[in-house]
Amino acid sequence: MKHLLLRLEPVIWLLFGLGIMVGTMLMTAWIAVVGLGAPMGLIPADALAFERAHALGSTLIGRVVLAALIALPLWKGAHHTRHISIDMGNADRDGLVAPLLYLIAIAGSVLGIAAVVRL
Amino acid sequence: MARAAHPDAMKPKTPGRTRTAPPMAPGEFPFAGRYRAYTLFDWTGIIYLLLGFVALRVVWALGDGESAWLAVQGQLENPLYLAFHLLSLVSVIFVGVRFFRLFPKAQPARIGPLKPPPQLVIHVALYAAWIGVAGGLALVLAGGIF
Repeated sequence: MKHLLLRLEPVIWLLFGLGIMVGTMLMTAWIAVVGLGAPMGLIPADALAFERAHALGSTLIGRVVLAALIALPLWKGAHHTRHISIDMGNADRDGLVAPLLYLIAIAGSVLGIAAVVRL
Repeated sequence: MARAAHPDAMKPKTPGRTRTAPPMAPGEFPFAGRYRAYTLFDWTGIIYLLLGFVALRVVWALGDGESAWLAVQGQLENPLYLAFHLLSLVSVIFVGVRFFRLFPKAQPARIGPLKPPPQLVIHVALYAAWIGVAGGLALVLAGGIF
C-alpha cells in the first residue's frame, strides 16, 4: 500500500494543490452567498430560486464549477487530515489512514460528478 | 615532498554502528509559537472535507427538484450550519492568505531556460485571481449578473 501511495503521490499532490488554490477561490464565494448570505437574507430571495439556480448549474460552465467546488476541497481536506494524523504520532498507521481518507475523497468526487451530471 | 593521504587511510576496518537520537516533537509543537499557524493550516483540512460534502448535498438537492432544493435551503438556515459556514469562511480566508504567501517562495529558481516572475508579481497575481474568481462567482450566485 505504501508503494502504491508513493507512486500516486504526484496525482495526489496535484489534486491537493488544486484543492487549496481553486477550492479556496471558489469556496470563498460559495460560503459567502450560499452558506451565509442566502440563509441570513442578505441577498435577494430570487437569486437562489430553484429555476435560476438550476439554469445556472446545468450549463457546461456551471457543471464544471460545481464539480470543482465539490471535489477539490475534498482532496485538500483528505491530504491535510492525513498529515494531522502523521503529526500527532500516527505515522505507523499511515498505511491504513491515508487510503481511507483518499477513498473518501474519491467517493465524494465521483458523487460530485454524478450530482452535476444529473442536473 | 609528501604524497596526498589516501582518503580511506583513517577508516576503521569494520564500520561502527550509526547511532541516531529518537525522534522527538519540538517543544512548541503543536499549538505554541510558529507551530500554531502550521497546525491550524492542517486542521482546516477537516473543514474542507466537511465543506465538500455540504456542497455535494446542496448540489444533489438541486438535481432532486424544487421541493428538495427548498428543503435544503431551509436546513442551511439552522444556526449550526450558519456557525459552521462562519468558521469555514474564516478558515478559507486563512488558508488563502497563508498559501498565497508561501506559494511565491516555493517556486524553483529556474524551469528550464525560464525564470519565474518576481515573488511580488506572483503574490499580486494570486490575489487578483482570488478576488476576480470569488467576486465574479459571488456576483453570479447573488444575482448581480446573469
